[in-house]
Order: sequence, then structure tokens, then C-alpha cells
Amino acid sequence: MSLYLLCKVLFSRKVVTALLLLQLAMTLALLLNSLLLAQQTQQQLNQPTGLDLDNTLLVQLKPTTAALRVYPALEELLNRQLDAVQAVPGVIAAAYSNQSVLLHGGNNGNIYVLEQQERTNVSTVPMYFVSKGFFNVLDSKVIQGELPQHSVSLDAPGSPDVVLTSSLADKLFAGTPAVGQQINRGRVAAVINDFYGQRSGDHIMYNSVQVAPPYGVDWGYSILLRTDPAQTESVRRQLASVLRNVESNIEIYHIRSLAEQHQHLYRNEYGLAMLLGVLSALMLLVTMVSSYSSTHFHALKRQQEIGIKRALGASKSLILLELLSENWLCTALGSMLGVALALWLNQALAQVISIPALNWYLPVITIAVLLLCVTVATWYPAATATRVSPATATKAL
Amino acid sequence: MEQFIYYLKVSFVSIKRAPLPYALTIFILSVGLGIFFANATFYYQLNSDPLPHKSSKLFFPMMLLAPYECTDCKPPAVLSYSNIEKLSQSDIPSAKTAMYSADGYLRKNAEQTPMPVNIRITQRDFFSMFDVPLLHGSVWPDNSARLEIILSKATAEKLFGRTDAVGEKLLLDDRHLTVTAVLDDWQMLPRLYDANNRNHLSPADDIYLPLETGYDMNYLSNTQSQTFDDTDYRKLSTQGRTGALNQLQYWVQLDTPTAQQAYKQFMANLAQDEKVAGRHPSEPNNQLVAMRNIVNYFGGESSDIKAFALVTLLFLLVCLFNASHLSLNRYLGNQYEFSLRRALGASRGQLQLQMLADVLLMAVFTIAGALLTGYAGIKLMNHLLPRNSLFSSWDLPLLLSLLAVAFICSYLVTLYPSLRASFGTLNQQLKE
Repeated sequence: MSLYLLCKVLFSRKVVTALLLLQLAMTLALLLNSLLLAQQTQQQLNQPTGLDLDNTLLVQLKPTTAALRVYPALEELLNRQLDAVQAVPGVIAAAYSNQSVLLHGGNNGNIYVLEQQERTNVSTVPMYFVSKGFFNVLDSKVIQGELPQHSVSLDAPGSPDVVLTSSLADKLFAGTPAVGQQINRGRVAAVINDFYGQRSGDHIMYNSVQVAPPYGVDWGYSILLRTDPAQTESVRRQLASVLRNVESNIEIYHIRSLAEQHQHLYRNEYGLAMLLGVLSALMLLVTMVSSYSSTHFHALKRQQEIGIKRALGASKSLILLELLSENWLCTALGSMLGVALALWLNQALAQVISIPALNWYLPVITIAVLLLCVTVATWYPAATATRVSPATATKAL
Repeated sequence: MEQFIYYLKVSFVSIKRAPLPYALTIFILSVGLGIFFANATFYYQLNSDPLPHKSSKLFFPMMLLAPYECTDCKPPAVLSYSNIEKLSQSDIPSAKTAMYSADGYLRKNAEQTPMPVNIRITQRDFFSMFDVPLLHGSVWPDNSARLEIILSKATAEKLFGRTDAVGEKLLLDDRHLTVTAVLDDWQMLPRLYDANNRNHLSPADDIYLPLETGYDMNYLSNTQSQTFDDTDYRKLSTQGRTGALNQLQYWVQLDTPTAQQAYKQFMANLAQDEKVAGRHPSEPNNQLVAMRNIVNYFGGESSDIKAFALVTLLFLLVCLFNASHLSLNRYLGNQYEFSLRRALGASRGQLQLQMLADVLLMAVFTIAGALLTGYAGIKLMNHLLPRNSLFSSWDLPLLLSLLAVAFICSYLVTLYPSLRASFGTLNQQLKE
């Protein structure tokens, strides 16, 4: 079987081959970029968060009456709610916070070392105002200093001590001990391990925490709970009624595990990757239909030719190989064009969304998938064509 | 007509002879067009102009009026109360309104369970500037504080079971207010008057409260508030009115290019005066952003829909190539029949008329398939990208454009194959 003859057969039907090549190229380009996007989303969802995603529950809520949103009624409500959820069997630790972890944006601001604002300023660092059990809920490891043991009002003279995550402490103090240093939010009391704060922040692991009741709850607040892995679901089922028994004038926005919160944070990327995945599957289907139909039609048109070849001694397997080779050659040529098109599409997509650049191994895998699909689609019509009897095919000669 | 029916009959016979290639062509075209329809719906709705007759006259003045020094900074996306006071001093705009949104709880009386509501805290010109239709009552006579609210039609129906609720008393976060008006059905899509943080994708608000009352009641913005000094945001009614607590959006209506130029000059003078007074140390950076450009200015364009638009367009092309390929095979398969007709005296024009009947039939099947696929595609996109779900409806111009695209695609898919089958050497074709 000569490559020259295969090419000659392919290019004897110029328009059909051109259409097939274009279609294969576009399919490959789309497949490649869909895979890249899916890979990126998977990486984002798998990046370390420093949190026990499966066994930490988050309740987002807000009092529905104005009287409950001001101190001292608010503090009393927060403490009653904490006592109640802590008494639920399976709850290891509970805490309130002005906002949740794993958010897109929220309560944040600049942070800098006093007297060195120009050099050390870091913008959009989340500010957490929490009850002291917060560190226990997150199972935080203390790297330097000691965690604050008492809640201090933000209105009291002097600011409450600040706990920083380690990457923020490194950024602010460049390796020198952070504990005891003064920053614009107060004195640094401790440094803990990193956890995922806000996606839109300067860095997702930069966080500052103060043990203090929140300024206000106009945007609602969070109750975070660490649970016994065996009882997470049972705790979750009880939470709404437990909180409503404490105080009925509340609106519960949602109760989620941190794993669900994490997925929620990336749901747009996940949605787009899924859509492109569906589209890629449809494209593969369309390509298979096209390959099937093309082989079926041309095998019918070439019945005489196949019959003569069979009469001259060509085996069924040789005919099958020849028909499959035509499709493999077409797919290979289309794939070469497709890689170039994929590069262009990758750049075009990078103008509107965040997408990684094309690597070397993904095209190889994608071409292999495309070849497999084309082979599966052309096998049946090619196999049928080999069954042509030499006598029947040459009858009209 | 008789001839047309004959052509249709011939088309049906041809389909019956080889139904699989025809079904595959329809399937591929329907899938390609359906996916394209689904995304085109979102793209069209998200980029539509909700006020085509006046959007070129509505502007958002942005000024770097903040108490910090900053080079090459964009003005803050939200303004402070005192910024608005200064910007409102000009009489150049024919209408002007400041606004923000907040969350609250509404009920008829203390015994009822509070209902969460989204509040638009704004001024009286809001309703005329954005063509908000009133069903009952009237808008506040001026911008002063008053314990009066305007309800959306849905909120009035939910609370009272009827729309005429003017004069009724309500409790908003434990404060008594009187209903002065009820809006008719209204949903500006996209909601361009509040495009910051991609809020243009959100539904219309439930109730409307005067700006001064909102400040008196200490309502904080539920989308963005920033402090650039020591202002305590819990004291909105006092410190919030004087300090650098930014949470307001501001719109002006400038009817002529002269008015727009004059307002730009007014902004430049204001920035200079503030700098000289030492209140705003940064170099002036004024922007008068037109309503049509506001989403782009805030960087809120739906990149997912844009990216998907590019991909669906490519997918449609692939499907068109594929369908043409299938169609070409089908027509070449019917070559003998075409040649026989030509041999019996049919002109090429008559063969093309036959082809048009084929196109019409194919367009009907394709449109039905594409609408079904498009509907399923929209449902899937709403599930996977729920933020855009308000933009998934079909209107008449969109539907007609989509039908036209489907017809053109069906024509293109059939054009080359039919031409190819109608031309060529008759002798040879009949011999094959």
C-alpha cells in the first residue's frame, strides 16, 4: 500500500476531503482547548486550601429584626447560638465570624507595618472578627506566638491583637519574627498556618484574624463548625432547627460544607468547562458521523474497484486496512492543521478568559482520541465493503 | 402551486430512498444551530440596550475624589455622600440621581414573619431617567427624607394579594413606612444603572426608599462600600454623610453634546477646586462614562458567554461543513436521477427550483430540531452558569433572526451539492 496512492485517492475528491480536513482540524482545536480548561478547573479545585473541607460546616445567617442586629442584643444572640450548636452531638468545635472562608470577596482592607506603609502595604487582606473557637474549628497550627484567649471589643481603647497567616507574615516581615510587631490593625499575637480566604484578594492565603465581636452584621455573619467525620451529615440536618429554636427571627441563607463552598466559588469555571466538555463530545459525535458517512458512500462508489482488487488477489484484511488508512491519513492531516488552529483558538480565548497555554502532551493524547473515534466510526462501513464479491463487482465490466 | 407541491413530493421520495443520510444531515445541522441559538440568546440579551432612545444621554460621572495620594489610579467605583452633594450642585443635567442597594426585612405588622427584600435607595429622578412605569400612586415630590416607600408589583401582590397598596402601612426593619406608589411590571435587562460588581445581571429590586431616609436608617450598601478614612460605617446617618465612606452610584442625564461638554468642564473645575482646598491630593482623573459603556468600564462583561460564543461559532462551522459533506454525498448518490431529468428536458433552473423545495423542507426539519436543541442548551447553560439565567428568553426579533440563520444555513448546505449535481457531462453521468 503506497502513501502516494492513498494521497491520490484522497485528493481525487477535493471538496469532500477539504471539508473533512477542516472539520477534523476544528474538532481537534476545540477538544484541545476544552481539555485545557477542564484541566485548569480541576487544578483550581484541587489546590490546597489549608482547610478540612469535608468535615467543616458553614452556616450563613442574619437576624431579621433590627433590634437583634445591635449590641448588646447581638452579642447575646451570637453566644446563645454558639452554645446551642456546640451542644449538638458530633460538633467538635464551633465559632462565629463576620464572614466565611473561601469567598470571592468580602470584608477586606489594606494591611501594613506601622511606620513602613510605603514598603509593606498589602491591599485587600480579609479581616476576620471571630470568637476564640475559630482557630479550633479550622484546626489551625500555631507557628509563632500564642492565640488570643479573650474577645476584645473593636470599640475598646486599643485594637484587639491580630493573628496572621504565615504567608502574610512572611510578606510583611520577610522572615523576621512577626509576634509583637505593630501593624495598622493592632499588635501581632500569633502566626498560624495558611488557609484559603478570598479569591479576589492580593493572595488567597493572606488573612488577618482578630478575636472580637463583629462591628455589625448588615451583611450577615457565619457560624463555622468542625464535626466528627462520622456525624457530619447528622449535624447538618439538625442545624437549621437548632438555630431557629434559639431565635426564630433569623434568616438562614445557606448551610454548606466547605467542600460545597469551594465548588460554589469556582462554579463559573466549572460550568464553562462542563459546557465545553459537552460540546467536545458532540463534536466527536459529529466527526464520527461524518467519517462513517464518508467511508460508507465512497466504499459504495468504489465497489467495482474493490471487486477487481479482490479478483486480483487482495485479501479482505488488505482492503480493510486500505480503507482505514485513508481515514487515518485524513485524520493525521486534519490533526496537523488542528494543532495550528488550536494555538490560534487558545490565544483568542486567552483574550476573554483565563486559560493556560497549550502544552506538548495534550495534542498527542487528543490526536490519539480522535484517531480512535474515526477508526470506530469507519470500521463498520469499511468491513462491509470488504464483503463485496469479486464476481458481482466485476459483472458490469 | 401545483408545481411546488410536485417538487415537495419529489423531495419526499428522495428522502424516503435514503433516509439515513438525510436524517444525519438534519441531526448535525440541528445540533450545530441549536447550540449556536442557545449561546446567541445569552449574547444578544446581555449586549442589548435596555433604553435605546436615551442610553446615549445617560452618564455616570466618575471622579478621583478620595483623601489619598495615588498616581495613575482609576476613580473609585462608588462615591461618597459628600461627593454626590458636590456633583449635584450643577444644573446642567436635565435629571440626576444617586443610588445604592441594601438588604432589609419587610412585613405588614409585628406579628407577621419578615420577608427579605432588596431595597433600591435612590432619589426621585431615578424613575423618570430609567423609564420606570408606575401602576398606582406617585413618586416622592422631592429628594428629602420621608418615611415612604414604593413597591414593585410583585412585592405588593405578595404582601397584600393586590397591586393597589397605596396608603398602606408597612414595617421595614421595624420602622413604619407608608406605600406611596406601586410599579408596573418592570425589569431592565441588563440592569445597567447598577453595573458595578456584575450587578447588571441581577433582577430588579423589590422596594424603593428615598436616599436620605436610607442614610437616616443606616442602611449599608449590600454590594460595595469602601472607607478611605476613619468613618464608622455604623454611623451612616452622621459620619457617613461627611466622611469618605463611598457606596453611592450617580447618574446624570445630559441631553445634548453641549451639555455633555459643559458637564465635563464642571467636573474638571470641581476636581481642581477640591485639589486646591487640599481635600483630594491626587491628580484629577475624571471620567464621564456613557450608559452603553458602563459594563465594559467596570470590567463586568460575561467572559464565559464570550468565550463560549467563539467556540459555538466554530462548532456551527464544523456542523455546516459536515452537513455540506453529507449533503454532497447524498446529491452525488442521486446524480443519475438529476441527469435523467436533464436528459428528458428539464432545465437547470427547474432543477434549482427542485433544490429550493429541498431547502425549504430541510429548513423546516432543521428549525424544529434546532429550536429543541436550543431550548435544551439554554436549560443546560442556566444550570451550569446560573448568574446569566435572566437573559435566557427568546423575543420576536431574536427568533426571526435565528429562523433566518437556519434557512440560510440550510440553503448553503444544499447549494454546492445541487449545483454540482446539475452540472457536468450528461453522457458520462448517465453511463455511471
